[in-house]
Amino acid sequence: MHSPHIILHGKGCAPGEFEGEAVVSNQPFGFWQGIDPQTGFVIDRRHELFGASLRNKVFVFPFGRGSTGTPGIFLEAVRNGCAPAAIVNVKSEPMIVMCALLAEAFFKVRIPIVDGLDANPRDVLRTGDRVRINGTTGEIEVVSRE
Amino acid sequence: MDLTDEERRILDGAFGEPQRIALGVLLKLGEAYGADRMVEIGSAHVVGSSYQIAGEAGIDIYSQLVAQGARVRVRTTSDPGSIDFARWREFKTPADYAERQIKIAELLDQMGVIPTWTCTPYTTFNVPRFGEDLGWSESSAVIFANSVIGARTNRLAAYVDVCAALTGRVPRFGLHVPECRRGEVLFDLDPDLSAGFEDHFFPALGYLVGQVTGDRIPVIAGVGKATFDQLKALGAASAASGSVALYHMVGITPEARTLEEALGGRTPVERVEVGRREIARTMEQMSTGQGGAVDVVGVGCPHASIDQMRRYATLLRGKRVHTGVQLWICTNTVVEEMARKMGYIETIEQAGAKLMVGTCHNDCPLGAWGFRRLATDSGKFAYYTPTTVGTECVFASTEACIEAAITGRVER
Repeated sequence: MHSPHIILHGKGCAPGEFEGEAVVSNQPFGFWQGIDPQTGFVIDRRHELFGASLRNKVFVFPFGRGSTGTPGIFLEAVRNGCAPAAIVNVKSEPMIVMCALLAEAFFKVRIPIVDGLDANPRDVLRTGDRVRINGTTGEIEVVSRE
Repeated sequence: MDLTDEERRILDGAFGEPQRIALGVLLKLGEAYGADRMVEIGSAHVVGSSYQIAGEAGIDIYSQLVAQGARVRVRTTSDPGSIDFARWREFKTPADYAERQIKIAELLDQMGVIPTWTCTPYTTFNVPRFGEDLGWSESSAVIFANSVIGARTNRLAAYVDVCAALTGRVPRFGLHVPECRRGEVLFDLDPDLSAGFEDHFFPALGYLVGQVTGDRIPVIAGVGKATFDQLKALGAASAASGSVALYHMVGITPEARTLEEALGGRTPVERVEVGRREIARTMEQMSTGQGGAVDVVGVGCPHASIDQMRRYATLLRGKRVHTGVQLWICTNTVVEEMARKMGYIETIEQAGAKLMVGTCHNDCPLGAWGFRRLATDSGKFAYYTPTTVGTECVFASTEACIEAAITGRVER
C-alpha cells in the first residue's frame, strides 16, 4: 500500500464527495438490465464486470448506455443501499447524470459524478485503488494503491 | 441559467414542494448540459408508469409527491404498465405484482396523468405538432415525435419526465436547439435495395442504424416511400440498438425535404453504404439461436395501430393458432376499442390469438410461462426480449410471424 500522488482534473457533473474503492471497466455500462438493484451485483452476462459488486464503489466506465427507464433500476439500488457511491466517466450521458440528480432530490443521497478528465481514467485508475472524488470541483485523487 | 420570475418563484416554493423539487432537478440537469434557459412544453409522457421500471423506489417517489399535492401542469400520458389491467390473470401475472402496478396507477391518477398505458401516445390523446417542445421519455415515442412529427424533445429519464410534467418545463439544450438537430451520419441505400425495400426491412434498417450511429443523428437516403407504421418500427429499433433520439429520412420526414436540409448544409461526418447484404447480415444479428418450434409470437411493438390490427385480422381470418403457441398482439385501449368496432378483434380471438393491452411481452413478468423461443417482427423486441423474457428470439416479417403462430414453427 502506497500513496501514488495521482490527481486528475475533470468536470463535475453531479455534486457530492466520496472516498472509497474504485471498480474500473473499459466497457460502456447500462444499469437497466445491468445491475441487480437488490444486491448491487452486475447481472449483464455480456459485460466484463459480470458478477462484480458495484455497491458503495467508485464506478469508473467510459459512458452509460441505455433505456429511459434507467433511473427506475438505479434508484431502486439507491433505496436499497446497493448503488455505486460515485461515478467517473470519459463522457457522462444525460441519463446517468439524471440518476444522480434524482437520488439527491428524492432520497437525499449524493452520488458525485465527474467526467472529461485530463487523462483517460482507464489508463490511470485501477480496480482496488482508494479514490477520493469531488463532484463539484471535478477533482479526483488516488489516495492509496495496493 | 437565465430564469424567469415565475421560475424563481417556483424555486422559492411559491407553487408548492413538488414543483420546487422538480424544477431543482431540471435546473441542475440544464446546468450540467449548458442550457441557457427553460422552455415551456406542450406535453409530457412518462415511462415510470411500469412497476417493472419504477419498482418500490418509484412508488416511494410518487407517494412523496402525491402527499405534497403534486398535479401535472401540462397534458401528460402514461407509458405501458407491467400488467394488462383487464386480463392480468390470463397472462399468469402474480397477484402481489399486479397489486403494486395498480398502486402506481392510483398514484399517477392522483397527479392527473392520462392513463393511456401506451408507448404510442401519439395514437391516442397526446399528439404533438411540428416544432413543439415536449418533455417525453420512452425511447420509441421520443424518436417518433422528433423524427416523424418534427416536435422537439430530449430522451428524458424516468422521473425527470415527471419533473417536466409537474412544472411544464424542460431545460433548453440538445434537441430543443435547431442547430443540434442536423444529421451527422449518412446512410445511403444502394439502388437495388431501394427498388425492393420490403416491410420488414424497416426495423432491420433501424437496428443497423442504431448500432452504427450510437447517440448521433442519422440521415437515411434512398427510401422511396414509408408508412406511419414503418417509420414507427424503424425508429423503435434504432432507439433500442443505439440511443438514437432523432433520424431524418430524405423526402419523407419533415426536417429532411432535401439531403441538404437534413444535413444542415454540412458534409456528413460518416457515410455508410447499405445494400441487401448489410440488411441480411443485420437480420442474422437480430435473431439468436436457430429456427424451429416456437412457443410465443410477439407483434405490436411498439403498440399496434388500427392499420396493423386490420392486417393481423386479415392474416388470421379462418385460421387457427397452433396448439401450445401463444400469439399475443400488443396495443392500447384506444386502438382496441376501434378494432372491436371494426370486427377485427372477433376475427383475431376466433383464431386463438390474444390481445395484450396496455403492456407488452417486455414489460410483464412472464417467468411462469417457461417460454423457449419467441418469433417477432419488432426490432425492439428482438433487442430486449432475450434478456427480459430469457428466450431465444427469431426476427421475421409480420406475415412470417403470423404463419409461425399457425404452424408452430419458424425458420431463420
